[in-house]
Amino acid sequence: MNWRAILTSRFFVVPSALVAALIGWNLYVAAHAHGQVSGKVLRADGAPAAGATVVLYERNLTSHFLEKSRTITDAAGAFRFDDNRSHQIRLDTIGPNGRQGQPLILRLWFAAQDIRLRDALVLPAPKG
Amino acid sequence: MNLEAPNPGGSTTRLGAVAAPTRPTGWYRRKRTREAMLVACFLLPSLAIFLLYRILPLAWNVVLSFEYWSPLKAARFAGLDNYAEMFFEDDVFWQALTNTLIFILASPVAILLALAVALAVNSDLKGAAIYRTIIFLSYPLMSVAVGIVWRWLYDERGGFINFVLRGIGLIKDPIPFLQSFGWALPSVILADIWQVIGFYMIILLTGLQSIPQHLYEAARIDGAPAVARFLRITLPMLRPSLFICAVIGILNSFTAFDLVYVMTGGGPAHATELLVTHIYNMGFGETRFDYAAALTVVQFTLLVILTFLANRAVGGNAGSVESA
Amino acid sequence: MRKRGHLLRHLAMVLVCALMLVPFYWVAKTAVTNENIYAYPPRILPLDPHLYNFVDVWYLIPFARYFANSVIVSLIAVAGNILFNAAAGYALTKNFAGKRAVVLLFLSCMLIPFQATIIPAYLVSARLGVLNSYLGLALPLLSTIVCIFIFKAAFEAIPTSLQQAARIDGLGELRILFRIMLPLAKPAIATNVILSFIWSWNAFLWPLIITRDVTMQTLPLGLARFLAYVEDTTGALYAFVCMVLLPGIVVFLMAQKEFIRGLTSGATKG
Repeated sequence: MNWRAILTSRFFVVPSALVAALIGWNLYVAAHAHGQVSGKVLRADGAPAAGATVVLYERNLTSHFLEKSRTITDAAGAFRFDDNRSHQIRLDTIGPNGRQGQPLILRLWFAAQDIRLRDALVLPAPKG
Repeated sequence: MNLEAPNPGGSTTRLGAVAAPTRPTGWYRRKRTREAMLVACFLLPSLAIFLLYRILPLAWNVVLSFEYWSPLKAARFAGLDNYAEMFFEDDVFWQALTNTLIFILASPVAILLALAVALAVNSDLKGAAIYRTIIFLSYPLMSVAVGIVWRWLYDERGGFINFVLRGIGLIKDPIPFLQSFGWALPSVILADIWQVIGFYMIILLTGLQSIPQHLYEAARIDGAPAVARFLRITLPMLRPSLFICAVIGILNSFTAFDLVYVMTGGGPAHATELLVTHIYNMGFGETRFDYAAALTVVQFTLLVILTFLANRAVGGNAGSVESA
Repeated sequence: MRKRGHLLRHLAMVLVCALMLVPFYWVAKTAVTNENIYAYPPRILPLDPHLYNFVDVWYLIPFARYFANSVIVSLIAVAGNILFNAAAGYALTKNFAGKRAVVLLFLSCMLIPFQATIIPAYLVSARLGVLNSYLGLALPLLSTIVCIFIFKAAFEAIPTSLQQAARIDGLGELRILFRIMLPLAKPAIATNVILSFIWSWNAFLWPLIITRDVTMQTLPLGLARFLAYVEDTTGALYAFVCMVLLPGIVVFLMAQKEFIRGLTSGATKG
């Protein structure tokens, strides 16, 4: 058997490239699947919204979003979840005055992917 | 052709073949029996599989078709009752039979299309290999997936076909191809042709490439026009390949199960019911194995008759090529 | 004149190829769109394409399970095919009493489409106790007549002096087959691998009949099940179709030559 010929044939190269890519992807997933979702909530005027409630919904198999957990933003308006297990989530924000912001639906590359929201969630301006 | 006469003594070593007639020693006889045992052992697995899954089922079908039998009931001789029910009471059977025949009769159209493509590709055309690959690409794909692909193409709103037909103003309202009684069967047939046309093309290409070039050169020197060259040389020489294509077309009415199952499930109102889907529904939907076996016998008989007719149509002796 | 004929033929072929490729494009397009797939008129180019439909499929269905089942069944079928077909092909190069009958039996089996045997084949499998098992899924696919004859032709092309030399060296028939004949019949092996792989990979009717559990389902069954579950309401279905079609396309493009050679030498599905 000519090992050189086998190792350079497309029947070896293509599958091993695929397997390598698969292993790499799985390693990446394993290193980044802690379920962390973090971000920031701003008031309509751009100031950080302290004390706002952020609700995390997970999508289940029948395409409904179910509430998973909720948290309250700190003084800098930052929030963080550690228990997301889904690949598709929704974040609702509720201001201290009870007004709800626009829900944000996020699709992730794999379940429990760690993400940091680039854009802050914005609470609606109070009426009047 | 695999049926050539056995070549005497060819299997033993030349030493043995020369020595054998003059010295039939015990050693030699033992060697012969050992070799026979070995041949038997080598053939056994394949033979067992074909006996279990081809020959035995064929016989079992015939037996079952003359019985009342279901997994929970003891078998009882039924005579021709199953067949009588099929021919006189089962409307779906007649519908399925008609559809199967239409399915088979559509294959010459596909073969002609494939012949045109094969003629265009078979030459010094640059990039012919790429065209060939693209046209053949649909054949080895999973037909369940192909069925879903075509379902989507035929879709009323998101489908490509309705989109194009409406876009060029041919129709005003979308046609629900797979849901309408008249359109469903032609639609499934079109999808089937799309999948299998590459196979026809490859078979015909092989046939075209086996035609000796000097025939064409001789004809050209004689001043025969292209049409005459095609009719006098190409077509007659292609007969074996055309026969193989016809057989594939006939067998295709069996293998189209996957497409029909996914695209329409036999509906609407049995408009796309083929014999093979009817067999499946009867056997595994209603667990009437006896009746399904009778249906299978009818379809297999149909297959044999049509293959025989196709063989006659192309000149009688093409069957020998198919087995080669 | 000749040039113009070529140009016309190129135009015709490009048109035909485009027609053949449109279905692939349409499904791939739908698989990566975000918008409502039922919007009319449909967009030709996907707006804002993304791959999240594939992620959805991965979590909606046990894709890995289906895939593993398909791979296992295909591996069993391919291994069985090489072993049994090579052995049978080698046996057919020898002379023995009843060889004609065996060859005739094989040839007549070629005309029996598998779909015509489903009812008794199911009953046979039930008697053997292999319903709903990998072995049962692969069993009818374990040997292919076309491939037996491909092996026979390949072995017959090998000079007999090699066999004789090996026999004088005292090698048994089994060793001759595996050490001498098979390494020299690589094209036949390749053809056999690709044919049996594609046929078992695409098999639908037989798995449909003999599997009962979801855990035993292969990719085509999973696809049909998913279709029944979601109908065609979601781009995820088409993402699934792409995931199923891609391995087949890759394998075919890699081994196109061997596949076509196998088909044309056999001409009909075994």
